[in-house]
Formats: sequence, structure tokens, C-alpha cells
Amino acid sequence: MSTTSDRVATPFLAADDRHSDLSTHFEVEQFYYREAELLDECRFSEWLELLADDLVYWMPTRTDRLRRQQALSVAARGEAAFYDETKSSLEWRIRRFDSGTAWAEDPPSRTRHLITNVRVRHANPTDDLAATGADGDTAVYAVRSNFLVYRNRLQREENLFAGERTDILRRTGDGLLIVRRTILLDQNVLLAKNISIFF
Amino acid sequence: MTSTPELAGRAGRPTATPAGPLHRPSELTPTIDVSGLVDADGGLLDRAIFTDHQIYQQELRRVFAPSWLFLAHTDQFRRPGDFFTTYMGEDPVIVTMDKSRAVRAYLNSCRHRGARVCRADAGTTRNFTCTYHGWAYDLEGRLVSVPNREGYPDRFDTADWGLVEVPRVENHRGLIFGTWNPRAPSLREALGGMAWYMDAMLDHDGAGTEVVGGVHKWVLEGNWKLSAEQFATDWYHVNMSHASALMLLAPAGKSPRDEIVHRAGRQYVDPNGHGAGFPVHPKNRFDALAVHQWFDYEAARARLGDARVEGPMTNGHATVFPNFSYLPVNGSVRVWHPKGPDRMEVWAWTLVDRSMPDEVKEAQRLYNLRTFGPSGVFEADDGENWSEVQAISRGFVTNSVPLNYQMGLGSEREDGRYPGKTSELYSDAAGRAFYRRWQSLMNTPAWYEVDR
Repeated sequence: MSTTSDRVATPFLAADDRHSDLSTHFEVEQFYYREAELLDECRFSEWLELLADDLVYWMPTRTDRLRRQQALSVAARGEAAFYDETKSSLEWRIRRFDSGTAWAEDPPSRTRHLITNVRVRHANPTDDLAATGADGDTAVYAVRSNFLVYRNRLQREENLFAGERTDILRRTGDGLLIVRRTILLDQNVLLAKNISIFF
Repeated sequence: MTSTPELAGRAGRPTATPAGPLHRPSELTPTIDVSGLVDADGGLLDRAIFTDHQIYQQELRRVFAPSWLFLAHTDQFRRPGDFFTTYMGEDPVIVTMDKSRAVRAYLNSCRHRGARVCRADAGTTRNFTCTYHGWAYDLEGRLVSVPNREGYPDRFDTADWGLVEVPRVENHRGLIFGTWNPRAPSLREALGGMAWYMDAMLDHDGAGTEVVGGVHKWVLEGNWKLSAEQFATDWYHVNMSHASALMLLAPAGKSPRDEIVHRAGRQYVDPNGHGAGFPVHPKNRFDALAVHQWFDYEAARARLGDARVEGPMTNGHATVFPNFSYLPVNGSVRVWHPKGPDRMEVWAWTLVDRSMPDEVKEAQRLYNLRTFGPSGVFEADDGENWSEVQAISRGFVTNSVPLNYQMGLGSEREDGRYPGKTSELYSDAAGRAFYRRWQSLMNTPAWYEVDR
């Protein structure tokens, strides 16, 4: 049976059934904890270094649909999304924070990224995703993880964002890089006045 | 069916429905005279209009119920049974295409116990069945199935118990509006001079517009008027509120171009409370590069005239009273759904020209998402302002200090180029007109209150 998560993952790549070995799993988890730390400490330029140049970073909207029309409950590529980004558009967004006038994040939010339920599988890389350059190492992982992100702002504003990320990670000479990230937020109407943080 | 306008108002109810001896006591709907809360001539506003619960209830019945309210875009309905659910004020409605391909709207509330008969945001269906007891309605709103029908008395006639229909649904160049007011002027008449400005966005080449699939929806802790007013009248906030976003649009390492920050322009001031402000410059252009490169400005000049191409076709902001707003530069159209005096929900669509090649539509979609979506570099700072204003407005002293709407006082005039009354780009004129209209509606009995 096709699930919502499968629908989200399949546009990018078919994961095979092999789970990663223990050391790869450990490495991926540590990679995510490191990433969460960078985001929670607002070290965005360092976070950008974890992203591949050919990144697709996508956070579709979700809607209430009748059960027989569930296939439509996650917006398709090209439809309404909270994020639909490249590495350079993320750089563009991050450049704003340094302006001193990005009021929605000035004073900045306090955030805490909790990353759990990490599932690492070997992927069947397409030519496109495997293209890594000089070292020829083309290991690609399909990773699903759950997140709970707490945001607290100003005196008493609070937001909770729960959801799932489906990533494609590529191993390069510099370590792991995020090549694809699909973020499925478990909300219909966004229960926050904006999204000015990253997942 | 229920829509017999002549019956409306007899029982003090906005729709004609069997009410028997029911009679709602007037104490349930007290009316406040808001004459002293808005000084449209002098440009002063009492903050109580953003916070008071009784005023809010009065808005729902005297501002929202009688006005034309935006429902959806015609592009969302391609086959009979396609539906979209939304709100008119706080009333849930289903907009759908019936079997004769007419777009109709119904109150999304079962006539039996009042539950919603459609709980999906959009989709395709043959009927709307209440999941409480099973009353079912067809696309024409008729009650077509009542379990245990034989248990009702002889006088029970299903024809009396169809879905309450929105009596007037009309569209202007693809934008569908509805009103509960059976005696409202036509939509075109209600838009009045505003249509000329709207058409600068909706009628680039005669092929019309369509919408990107899906609707951005998010919550804001602010009164709906704060945002509606801003889109009607406020270019003033751009340089300060959006300083960081303007920096992003400027060439790397440079401050925003002077002509962006200090531009001249006009602000349209509509007597029905609509408003639109726009810089005027012979080289105004669409921001998204792909849109700019594809767009035929010369053909648009021939169709729309130089004044519109150099003004409201590209940059600017606008509100159709009371709660529909749009931004021509990126095709963002949105409704500010009221959710109590302190809260609203923003529902935003992305409009593209039907004639655009796919890659140009995609460029416009991405540009809108990154600037005025809920994660947009402009939108985020707007939301910050409105929630900030609202958060402190309950303070007794804070709430009692009047607000200033005096910029451009007396500047409204016919300028010979832009039709109707216009003011300066930087002005509160359309804001004053917005609140003048609000005040007038709040102090005028709606159609159902008038004893005919």
C-alpha cells in the first residue's frame, strides 16, 4: 500500500530495502545532531556547508481530503509549498538575518530541534544524484527522520512544529551532504504567524 | 429551496428559513453606535475597534454579512462536483460547481443539527453528506436523503430543508465573490472604480488568470482590519518594515536603489472603502526575472494604457473592502478571515497569467513563495507588525490612546491620469476611506434588520 511518506519520497529516488550498517547509522545520527546544533545556535552559514550545491529543499502544504482522495493531501511539486528552495535561495534568505532589520527574527527566536526515529537505507542512486565529482565516491543514503521543533519568541510566543523529513544524503570527501530534503509538517493551516526558521 | 429574498428579514434573520414562532430577542444582538470611534475627517481612530468583542460581533453581522466577500478563483472549478470550502466572515461555506456548471455557494452546516456537511478543504463529490445523522444534499443544495424519513410529521417537506444558499455569487475576471445580501448591488457595481485598478492585474492580455494549486493558510494573532487596512493604504511601512527584504532585492553589497525607496506614486481612494497604492515610474517591471523577460509591456500598454502599466500593473498593494487584498507584482491574492477580535487566518493564492509558459508560471510561484508566502522575506515582517500591535492593545491605557491616520489629509483629488480620487503614494487617505466605510456599515441596519 502506498503511504503518504512514500509519495513524498518517490519523486526523488527509490530507496532499496537494505538498512545501513551500524556505523553508518551512527554517523548519520551524529550528522543530524550536529545540524540541529547549528540551527539552534543560529550558525546558519555553517549549516549551509552541510547542503549540496544541487540541493532541493521542499516543504509542501497539506490539506484535508476525503479518504478516497488522500493521494491529493500533500501538495504536488509545483503547488503551494512553505519552502521550495535551492541552496542559493536559502543563502539569500539567511543573508537577511545579518541585515539588522529582519524584524521577524530580530530579536531572534529560541529554537530546539529534536530529531528522532532515524531510518537509514541504502539508496539506488540515479546518475544525477550520484554525481559527486573528483573522488568518485557515490554512496547515497535515503534517510527518514522525525522532528519536533520548539520555537519561543519575544516574551511568550510559542510554536511547536512536528513532522517528518525525507532526505537524500550523499557521501563526499568532506563527509555527508544533504542533497534532497522533503519536510512534511503535520499541520494543515500553519499554526504560526510565519516560518522564519529551518527544519 | 430556501432562497426567497422577500422572506429575508421577517424574523430578523439573514436567510429565509422556516423559523416557526422562533424570535431572537434583540438583547442577543446589542448594537453599538460607532460614531465616536472613527474620525475619518480628522484621521483619528479609537483602538477599541481592534479589541472589543461586541464590536466584533457587530462586524460579523453588519460589515461581513452585507458585503461582497471573496470566495475562490474560477480555475478551482473545472467539473461538476469540484468543491472548495472556505469562510465568509466566520460562516463556513462550500463553493461548488453544480450539474449545470454554475458555481454556487452554500452554508456548510447541516439543517438538522448544524454540523459541517463537508470536512475536506477541496475535492470532487456527488453530494454532501452529514456524518452526524446522514442527511445528504446534492450539488444543487437539495436535501436528497433523510434516514428515517417516515419519522417526521406530514408537514415536513425536504424542499424547506436544503442547504442555505449564498443568494448572490458573481465573478469579476475569475475572482469569485459572494454575499448574503439579496439586495446588494451587483459585484461590478460594488467594485466601482476599483475594477479599473484590479484589471491592471487581472487583464494583462485578455487570456485571463489561473491559480497555482493549493492555498497557503496561516494564523495571525491580530485583528483582520490591521492587515486589510495596510494593503489598502500603506506603502509607508515598506522602507522600514521590509528593509532587510529590500536589501536582498538590491544588487549584492549595495543598499536598495534610491528610486525604490523614494519613489513617487499614487494611492487610489474608493468611496466604498477599497484602496490601492502604487509607485509610478515609466520603467516599472515585474520583480521575477523570468516574468519580466517574458512579459510584453508594449502590448500591455496598448491594452491597459500607459498609466496602468506605469503604476498599478506591477508594484503596489490593494484591498477590496472588507477583507480581500492582493499584490500585483507577484500575483498574491489573499483573504483575511476574521477569527475573533484578536485573531485572523490568512488564506493566500498565487495568481498567474493563463498565457504564461510553464517555466514563467513556476518563476512567479517561487518568487511569491519566497517573498509573500508564510515563509516569505516580506510577509514574515508584516505578520510581526500586526501581532505586535495586537498583543499590547488590551492594556487599558494603551487601548484608550487614539491612533494617527493623518498623513495626506486633504490630499485626495482627481489628478487627470488615475481615475477617481487619488492621494500620494505615502498617505493614509485610503485608510481613512476604509474606516469611513466600516463606520457607515456598522451604523446602518443590514437588510435583514429592516422591517419591510
